[in-house]
Amino acid sequence: MTETHGKQPDHWLALGPPGSGGSWGCRIESVGVKLPAQRLTTRDLMNRTSHRTRIQLERLTGIHERHVVGPGENSFTLAAGAARDCLAHSQHQPQDIQMLISTSITRSRGRFTQSFEPPLSLYVKQAIGAARATNFDLSNACAGMLTGVFVLQDLVARGEISCGMVVSGEYISHLSWNAARQIRSLLSRQLASLTLGDAGAAVIVERAPSGSGIDVIGFTTLAEHSRLCLAFPSTVGPGGQMYTKSRTLQKVAIDDMAPLVAEAIGEAGIDLADIDFMIPHQTSARAIRAGTEEFVRRLGARPKHVVVNLEEYGNTSSTTLFVALHKYLEEQRIHKGDRVMLLALASGIEIGMAIFTVDSQVDRYGHAH
Amino acid sequence: MGTRIEAVSALTSHGLRKPAARRLADTAARTCLAHAGREPGDVDMLINAGIYREDNMGEPALAALIQEDIGANLGQPPIGGHGTFSFDLFNGICGVITAIQIESGLLDSGVIRLGAIVASDVDPDHHQPGAVLLQPAGGAMLLGSDEKLAGFTDFSTETFPEYDDLFASGLVWQERHGHRVPRPAAGQHEMVIEEKPGYAARLADCAEEASRRFLRRLGLGWGEIDLVVPAPSAPDFLDALVTRLGLPGDRVAYITEDLEGAYTTGPIAALQAAIKTGRLGEARTTLMLAAGAGITVALALYRQEPP
Repeated sequence: MTETHGKQPDHWLALGPPGSGGSWGCRIESVGVKLPAQRLTTRDLMNRTSHRTRIQLERLTGIHERHVVGPGENSFTLAAGAARDCLAHSQHQPQDIQMLISTSITRSRGRFTQSFEPPLSLYVKQAIGAARATNFDLSNACAGMLTGVFVLQDLVARGEISCGMVVSGEYISHLSWNAARQIRSLLSRQLASLTLGDAGAAVIVERAPSGSGIDVIGFTTLAEHSRLCLAFPSTVGPGGQMYTKSRTLQKVAIDDMAPLVAEAIGEAGIDLADIDFMIPHQTSARAIRAGTEEFVRRLGARPKHVVVNLEEYGNTSSTTLFVALHKYLEEQRIHKGDRVMLLALASGIEIGMAIFTVDSQVDRYGHAH
Repeated sequence: MGTRIEAVSALTSHGLRKPAARRLADTAARTCLAHAGREPGDVDMLINAGIYREDNMGEPALAALIQEDIGANLGQPPIGGHGTFSFDLFNGICGVITAIQIESGLLDSGVIRLGAIVASDVDPDHHQPGAVLLQPAGGAMLLGSDEKLAGFTDFSTETFPEYDDLFASGLVWQERHGHRVPRPAAGQHEMVIEEKPGYAARLADCAEEASRRFLRRLGLGWGEIDLVVPAPSAPDFLDALVTRLGLPGDRVAYITEDLEGAYTTGPIAALQAAIKTGRLGEARTTLMLAAGAGITVALALYRQEPP
């Protein structure tokens, strides 16, 4: 890559850590998840649409069921539950957290279907006792959690903080219920709303020796395509409604993601075949398969495993990457030394990725823990 | 090397009947780029810190729509090349200072070379007695690096959660009933903003406490602060704060009358006033201050001296 003005090579991605290396590395220390106990199968959801749709949703998407909130649960309770689970897998205490970022699209709490002020992060940090933490909310559609990690990574690498948490609680199944009232056919732009499930996820990042931890984390916004997925407060029921041009979104993502992945793995000095686990944003099994094959065709290599967990969770929005990572850690399918690539794709279009090698955090997951 | 304010722009809706938050931010961003002699494609990162919008869109981030509107790096990504990364940040009236902290760090790391911050609000559609009225306004600022300037050197954000119930806002679902209600419209989400008595006074208390603690940590006295740039968080807040701190009026950058009532744009509007009067350029050490819901107090120190 060519050096231009400024001290970094020219990248399409906003890319950290800086090429010169920060004072410190930044590693993912622990991941936590909160899943509602209640489950909803795709068959049950499709049986409750207002119109007879004849849509074979499970066959199209690979989603068999998803978790959905019960009474008293909302974005805040999911976020706080995930933050507690994250701490349970961590060597840190709540008072070690110096910055806490809440990154969910949905921010339901109390009587508010969407709260604005104070930020949800304030209530999460109070709930877990992270009294020292600076807090704010960030919103970047389904790329929210990885965007939060991008922000924290820079603060850790520069030595501003040594420990931070990103959290998200997505009570987003109301979009499914609102879509189920209106959807009539496979061509509906609300079809993607039927794939959503509820989940909370949290991740702690911490200071690591320089040169270790996250190898590369990068992001860009392909704003020419900003209107391919839009969500608004609903007029048919509490919560939101989402309209997606799914086929166009998938085509743009496949076309534009390959050169960005090439940029990131080039920066990491590796090949796509060196990725042991690629965890993409979970939309539909078909879309993930098509995207993977296009990477293979264009980049001439294949990651060893591509993680798909849609069958039991559906699309849990900003939490998908960390719900999947947590599941693979708990099931001890990821081992020390494995290289993982998280690949975010979100409305905007936001494309983000992080590459890191799993280390001792695996010791705190699984049945032995 | 420090983070330099390249340009700022804050504006009102000029009496438009239905102002839009996105359009206010677009106009402010374009004006700001023109002031700085920069192209939209120069922007590496765009953070939107505005909150109250006419449509309350949940996704995408409003920042992505603003990036598209101003035409920042819309082409297909090649390997190499140059993109823009955009997202939204919510921290009430403190959001702009939080965004400055993030972009200042990324400039220092060399991850970005030019950062843009935008903020805008419109008065939410709520009709309650004693409702909080916001002035529709938008603002933008550009941050770059300067080897000869210390720039933004220190930040602090403190929260006082014991006062978290004094100001709260959100959408509440309201069912619609009656035979004239057209299907499928079964209801609507109404924005509710609740401000309890004593909020402005507690804001001043917390801002005073946090700023004294911040300066003490840096080993600075109020005499060494040449200019305070405060966001006017609530009516009466600023007068109470300035009186408590014993600051003479010539060391406070008050926003211009037309921007009174601006919300998340407040910190940018205050900076604009300080720049237009030449006082930011004259001040060696400037303290930016904002206080809002939470209660959250955000502070930033800007130094016009060599690093």
